[in-house]
Amino acid sequence: MPTFDFTNLLWWGLPLAAVPVVIHLINLLRHRTIDWAAMEFLLASQRKYRTRIFLKQLLLLLLRILAILGLVAVLAQPRWTTDLGLLLGGQQTTHVVLLDDSFSMAETLPDSAPKNNTQTTSTQTTSPFIRGRRLIARLLEELAATPGQQLFSLGRFSQFSSDRPPDRNGPDELTDQFDLREETVSPQNLTVLRRTVEGLAHSAHAVGPMAAIRSAIPLFSKGEGGVLWLITDLRSRDWLKAEPTAEILQPLADAGIEIHFVDAAALATEQPATDAEPRANLTVERLEMVGGVPATDVLLPWEVTLRNQGDMPAGPVALAIREDGLERPGLQVDGIPAGETVNVRFESRFPEAGGHLVEVELPTDQLAVDNIRTAGVFVVDEAEVLIIAEPTGSEADAGSDAFYLATALDPGAAAATGLSPRIESPRALAQLDLSRFDSIWLVDVARLDAAEREPLEAYAKAGGGVVFFMGPDTSAAEINDTLFREGAGLFPAPLAGPVDLLPDPRNPEAPDVVAENHPVVAVLSGRRNPFLDAVRVERYMAIKRDYEPPPESGLRRLLSLRNRAALALERPFGSGLGVAILTTAGPVWNNWARNNPSWVVVMLELEGQLARLRRQRETLLVGEPLEVVLEQGVDQIDVDFLLPPHGTTVRQVASTSADGELVAQLSDTNSPGGYLARWQTVSGGQRERVIAVNVNPTEGNLERIAKTDLDQVMAGIPFLYERAELLEPGDGNRSGTSLLRPLLLLLLCILLAEQALGFIVSYHPVRRSTR
Amino acid sequence: MTPGSKQYLPPEVLARIGRLDLRARTVVDGVLAGLHKSPYKGNSVEFLQHREYTRGDDLRRVDWKVWGRQDRLYVKEFEDETNLRLFLLVDGSASMDYQPPRFAATQGLTKFDYAATLAASLAWLGLSQGDAVGTAVFDKQVTASVPARTSRSHLASLVKALEQPRQKQPSDFLAVLRGLAETLPRRGLVVLCSDLLGDREAIFKGLQLLRQRGHDLAIFHVLDDDELDFPFDGPTRFEGLELPEDLACNPRALRAGYLEAIDKFLVEARSRAAATRCDYHLVRASQPIDSVLVNFLARRNRLRA
Repeated sequence: MPTFDFTNLLWWGLPLAAVPVVIHLINLLRHRTIDWAAMEFLLASQRKYRTRIFLKQLLLLLLRILAILGLVAVLAQPRWTTDLGLLLGGQQTTHVVLLDDSFSMAETLPDSAPKNNTQTTSTQTTSPFIRGRRLIARLLEELAATPGQQLFSLGRFSQFSSDRPPDRNGPDELTDQFDLREETVSPQNLTVLRRTVEGLAHSAHAVGPMAAIRSAIPLFSKGEGGVLWLITDLRSRDWLKAEPTAEILQPLADAGIEIHFVDAAALATEQPATDAEPRANLTVERLEMVGGVPATDVLLPWEVTLRNQGDMPAGPVALAIREDGLERPGLQVDGIPAGETVNVRFESRFPEAGGHLVEVELPTDQLAVDNIRTAGVFVVDEAEVLIIAEPTGSEADAGSDAFYLATALDPGAAAATGLSPRIESPRALAQLDLSRFDSIWLVDVARLDAAEREPLEAYAKAGGGVVFFMGPDTSAAEINDTLFREGAGLFPAPLAGPVDLLPDPRNPEAPDVVAENHPVVAVLSGRRNPFLDAVRVERYMAIKRDYEPPPESGLRRLLSLRNRAALALERPFGSGLGVAILTTAGPVWNNWARNNPSWVVVMLELEGQLARLRRQRETLLVGEPLEVVLEQGVDQIDVDFLLPPHGTTVRQVASTSADGELVAQLSDTNSPGGYLARWQTVSGGQRERVIAVNVNPTEGNLERIAKTDLDQVMAGIPFLYERAELLEPGDGNRSGTSLLRPLLLLLLCILLAEQALGFIVSYHPVRRSTR
Repeated sequence: MTPGSKQYLPPEVLARIGRLDLRARTVVDGVLAGLHKSPYKGNSVEFLQHREYTRGDDLRRVDWKVWGRQDRLYVKEFEDETNLRLFLLVDGSASMDYQPPRFAATQGLTKFDYAATLAASLAWLGLSQGDAVGTAVFDKQVTASVPARTSRSHLASLVKALEQPRQKQPSDFLAVLRGLAETLPRRGLVVLCSDLLGDREAIFKGLQLLRQRGHDLAIFHVLDDDELDFPFDGPTRFEGLELPEDLACNPRALRAGYLEAIDKFLVEARSRAAATRCDYHLVRASQPIDSVLVNFLARRNRLRA
């Protein structure tokens, strides 16, 4: 039966069919009068042709009425649904639309498909997401006009992301994840459904399609016909993954479900690409504090990594910098080669303690979402550093190893490092709250009992950095047993015992210490450094000769001796790091700490490296849950989270995690920007923490999969590739066939017949010779 | 110059000449200027005078002896002799007053005006060569009549009769033609100028009567272009000039049937005229009258030859 896309237009246009009749009646009233001589011939003609004339005139009138009706019908977009179509599609057809809402769908594209949307012109821009939304609205209109029960479900990729838990937990999780689930589309609820679709916006997530496809499969289990619409920008990173796309879609193909790939990011003039197609886009890939101590009035170095995702070099780029929302002088980047990154540095200084946000932003380009990156930093008046040393007679013994180390970390007022070293005995490890220290340094500690060792290892596991210095009191066996524990402990490597570094008679001028390729000693490596060359090491703690670290251990050298024995090495431990410097901190086994500037440099760089581990945890990706660990008995359990961009407050109650920690969690981190967690202590004090949430920079790679690669990925699965801006609903295999073309042909025939008949019944002057 | 190539006077131009006699003279002047050869050659034998050669004169009538003596061309003119009696019968019925809508503003020639001008022109021609010419205007009956005479001054009487006010009644051809057959004293040429809209049986029966009385017959069947082509468009109400009926219609729809009917009428008129041995001429009211006359004279000349 015929249906119309624009039924209102049909009802408004139908009265126009009366126009020919009205014109005919008006003409009857407007006749002229002629006194006629040859009346007998006229009467004869009238008698003879009365019936024929009446029929011709009637036919002409009918043709004109039909022409107007045909024109109205063409404008109303007719569609024909046959009983056969219903049989093929069943009385119930399931349509599941999965809309890619990763932020690459926000790419700016020229709007080349205004269609029936009068608000758009060729000069405007659009995005793959807007195209997708338009298509869904159009699809809903079509389904509403299609007979039979049309079940419609709509889901967005981000709602099914495996790394993003659903917003609400309920008995029917699937219902929550779909924006629309198994809604029966009808003209009555079309407006509501369309409003839901129009309210959708792209997310800041970088998610692929697989989780969404897996979730959609159960919706087709009813045994009825169905169509799966995958509206996506077909980025290479999403569709070239090793995940078995074809395998996931196989059950749908077996069930006869039509699979439509709707390419929402194709350019107007673009044919399906035969090669992977890169697209221009600049991304702020990283913003990180690369040294220094986040303390008041201390210069903090920041490094920004900018990536050119396109295949053409990018010209000079202005990088805007904001500190706590205030503009500060930006940076100019001369250019970024195609497909490569460029690092630029700047410094900032915060005069006040507390949480601060640093934000960098590129000028608007094809994709604006990845042009901003935020970093949070919690600035303190002083960053406490804990130095653990065996107690000596007086605490600030000027000759002790701890003194040399404390002096290196806090040289004095003339060189503010923001660090506040605190020298304690090993007993303090069990007594103090270690989490408030930026790093912990153990200097020639003879032994640690379990009560001391466990908090230390917990501190490191949670992201803290611990440095071990050796010395005469250090027992290799004790360290191996308690701190290394066959690789299970915090200490990086098993020790053999103290060894003298013998002179090298063949090369007596060779420096004792060699800097390895490591960021901490990067300032000393690469060329001969007179300060490092001046370091003389007489004795060191050797690593067990036969020790072979497992490949996954992450053991890495910082410094070596001239005999290729390790002098300083590190190994990750949990989220933190254990560092061993296999000689003394003071000038007992070496002369490093005595009037050698490289000692201060390396110690401060090492402290910065260790502290950064903890700060990295204050940077999350969009969608990752934000967790704040509270101190039991100290903090209250209500935590207010202030969400960007408008500071909306969400209160969460902390609960005890599986690890026994008191954790307040915010799962809704869907907007990038700076988040502030604020809570009160039992004693009435206020504490806060800033966390930066950023988009995944890999989503900024706008390279699109080649059609041939897509065919390969979908090997064995029948699918239809369509372009969103060209897709004409009704032309494909959906229920109902557009009657536009046949109706246009019919209208043409009617108009030709009307013209022919009009010609036949009208007068045409003929030159007649005199008879 | 052939008659077909001559620049004739269109009826629209003639319509601007108000007096019928002037109109007729204009026509006849054109006719005489256009004739290469007099259709009346040999009708006279007595030499009358010499006249200087003018363009259009028959070269056979040039006096070559005079040319040989004086090197100037003179033609010889002879005293005409004729026994032709020309009687012009003009239909003055209401149907002859059809005024085409295209002339509604300019008051062009009606069929009657055209027929009267044609008759006056023939009268002028006849009188100018000494024929006796008479005329009658009729509808239901003869409304004006002048007997045939040869005097040149007789033309004024003829014109006056043609310009008499008319009753504009439907024609009664049989009564009029029968009356004419009974009253015309001598055989002659009877020329009927009419649209023949009426009882065709009566028309040709009346003409047959004239033929039986030994009269030579010619019919100028005058019809307007509109009546022959029926070019009307748009809703129109036709009101009969003679018939009481009227008809509101779309003329485009009736045109084919109308043309078919009038074609049949013309064929019938032509064939019945031929059967009655009438010299039949269908004349459009848009045709130049001098052209019609030239054709008529040329044809009679051929018939005589």
